[in-house]
Amino acid sequence: MNLAFWIISAVTVLGALLAVSLRNLVHCVLALILFFIGIAAHYFLLRADFLGTVQILIYVGAVAVLILFAIMLTHNVTGTDGPREILGVKWWSGAVIAAALAILLKKAILSDPLAMVLPAGDKAQSSVAEIGRALVANWVVPLEAIAILLTAALIGAVVIALEEIQKSR
Amino acid sequence: METIYQILHTTFANVPAWAVQIAAFLIPIAFIFGVYPAIFALTTLVERKALGRIQNRYGPNRVGIFGILQPLADGLKILLKEDIVPRVADKFTHFLAPVLIVIPGLLVYLVVPVAPGMVAVDLKIGVLFALAVGTMSVIALFMAGWASRNKFSVLGAVRAVAQVVSYEVPTVMAGVAVIMAAGTLSTLTIVQRQGGGLLNISNWYVFRPWGLVGFALFIIGGLAESARCPFDLPEAESELIGGYHTEYSGFKFALFQMGEYLAGMAMAGVTVTLFLGGYMGPGSGPGLAGGLISMLWFFVKLAGMIGLNIWIRGTWPRLRVDQLMGFAWKVLLPLALVNIVAVGFWHFLTPRPLAWIITTGWLVIWFLVLTKCNASAKLEKREYRYV
Amino acid sequence: MNYPGKGLVEGLAITARNFVGSYFYKDRLTTVQYPEERVQTPENSRTFPFLVFDESPDKPRCTACKICEVECPPKCIYIVMDRDDKGKPLQRPKVFDIDISVCMQCQICVEVCPFESIKMDNDYEKSRYGRFNDLVQRLPDLLKSNAYYNKIKPAEAAEVDAKLKAEAEAKAAKKAAAAAAAAKATAVPPAGSVT
Repeated sequence: MNLAFWIISAVTVLGALLAVSLRNLVHCVLALILFFIGIAAHYFLLRADFLGTVQILIYVGAVAVLILFAIMLTHNVTGTDGPREILGVKWWSGAVIAAALAILLKKAILSDPLAMVLPAGDKAQSSVAEIGRALVANWVVPLEAIAILLTAALIGAVVIALEEIQKSR
Repeated sequence: METIYQILHTTFANVPAWAVQIAAFLIPIAFIFGVYPAIFALTTLVERKALGRIQNRYGPNRVGIFGILQPLADGLKILLKEDIVPRVADKFTHFLAPVLIVIPGLLVYLVVPVAPGMVAVDLKIGVLFALAVGTMSVIALFMAGWASRNKFSVLGAVRAVAQVVSYEVPTVMAGVAVIMAAGTLSTLTIVQRQGGGLLNISNWYVFRPWGLVGFALFIIGGLAESARCPFDLPEAESELIGGYHTEYSGFKFALFQMGEYLAGMAMAGVTVTLFLGGYMGPGSGPGLAGGLISMLWFFVKLAGMIGLNIWIRGTWPRLRVDQLMGFAWKVLLPLALVNIVAVGFWHFLTPRPLAWIITTGWLVIWFLVLTKCNASAKLEKREYRYV
Repeated sequence: MNYPGKGLVEGLAITARNFVGSYFYKDRLTTVQYPEERVQTPENSRTFPFLVFDESPDKPRCTACKICEVECPPKCIYIVMDRDDKGKPLQRPKVFDIDISVCMQCQICVEVCPFESIKMDNDYEKSRYGRFNDLVQRLPDLLKSNAYYNKIKPAEAAEVDAKLKAEAEAKAAKKAAAAAAAAKATAVPPAGSVT
């Protein structure tokens, strides 16, 4: 494990911790964006550059914006109305559940053959062409299923908007 | 960067490798930091003078001959202005937004090749990186509007985000057409593929039918992503005072302008790379002379694209927000999808003239269909009752 | 023939013509680079009054009759007649002040002057640094020659000159006729004496 890995991990974990503990919701989202960029850096470290770039494109460019729009509609964004509940009953129960989930997930992930630490090879260069070929040759059914899901979501959004427009007329 | 490393290593053979590596790392960054903000400063002046000439007046011509010291005067003025932060603004976000809007603009220049082998980082996923980093500016726009605690700023920010996100889709799809034709995501390879042919010009992707449509889509998308006219609704001065940068003064405002102009020039640079053949032109090739001629060609094309941007700014009126969104989703997106199919035709139809005919016909038919479907309703002849 | 995007392309063509034409045809650029160039104001334009003199500033046409001071609506003119040592009025002003921050450029003073001595100037560069005293024009500032008046308002000045000349000639003719009549009266007594 080289120095770059530890630095990027520190930044990522810092982003995640800030995202759950900051007072102002918009600051939490900014910390979440830092977390996403840290994950993208991890991908780059693992030489999966396509995945890292797509992570930035989708998560930072779209998902974070979606979260920001949703936050715009909540009240008490600054978190200054009312006391904060830290180390109360709710906090402890959440921490216990999160810890249990983490242990279960770690067990499940490490027992999968995919999680074996592969021998370090500098020749392992991912190529976008191979990802594309794999997508349309081996994994075409999940690809098409996701495409149908996204299309359904898009059409659903348009239908909801159309209903609103017709109601307002 | 590898090319520069090779050149330096062979020239200064007795310097240790780590020093050469650091130099090879710093030279492209110094180039980007030096050249592009200088071009930005020059562009502000050229834009004002060109807009003035279009509007039958001189541009700024008091500061220095032909107004050449005007950017200096502007910079000095804006440095000396008072930096006002509203009392109820979110200080951290308000401070961070102008910084975050300049960074993506500068990052795109890393993958724009200026001469054979001269690209700051030769990423295998160059084009995707450029487009992904361009989407990071959306967050900064929203942060700027939100942090100002001003209803007009939030409105401007929401409209800016909606505009940028909607126009990203046809832009990326137009880029996908070029990627399909070139078979690679690396910008350096795409430019090399556009060499050869008559005078190094006839292989440019803009001279192919799908390339022309993609070029138009990319220009429109680039104008919309950097919020320039005719898509400058986010900063529409006549409607929203300043939109998302209303509450900024002093150097933060200058950073907003710089970020917007740098993003616009970066999109122009990517357009030149993808469609206009990058640094390819008569006389460009490897070696010192060929490299210098290539650099000249690149900057001539970049200047041409910036000039086109300025020309469009001086001519077309601003689009209303519903017209803007309708245009993106109803006209540009279907056209981009149709363009991708056209590239498929081009690739698989083997006799070249047949490929030309079928691709051109397909694109023309779909263009006419889309514009016909989206044409606004014809107004009936009005009847005046009291004439 | 209408194609989609026709208006856009025509618009671009118009601005391109403007841009290129502004370098070759000077009448496309209507900018006047003040203060190096100035637009010629029309002859009838007027700003503030001035006093006309014919041969030298010591002999202005103004006789300090004070008609313009009385007729001025905002009362911006202040006149004091020049008197010699014995208190006899000389027919010329000693003090003639016009406060141009009060003057409303109505030209009534010009219309009522019987001696054609106060006329309207068309000099608009009257900014001063002080707000009160610097905007009062005294007699030396107001005296300008007839040649200057001819230069700024040729037609009007020609008319005024013709009128003054006709008046002077009529007066001279009347004086000559009176002198001839007086000469005839004194030379009349004939041989027949008065009885």
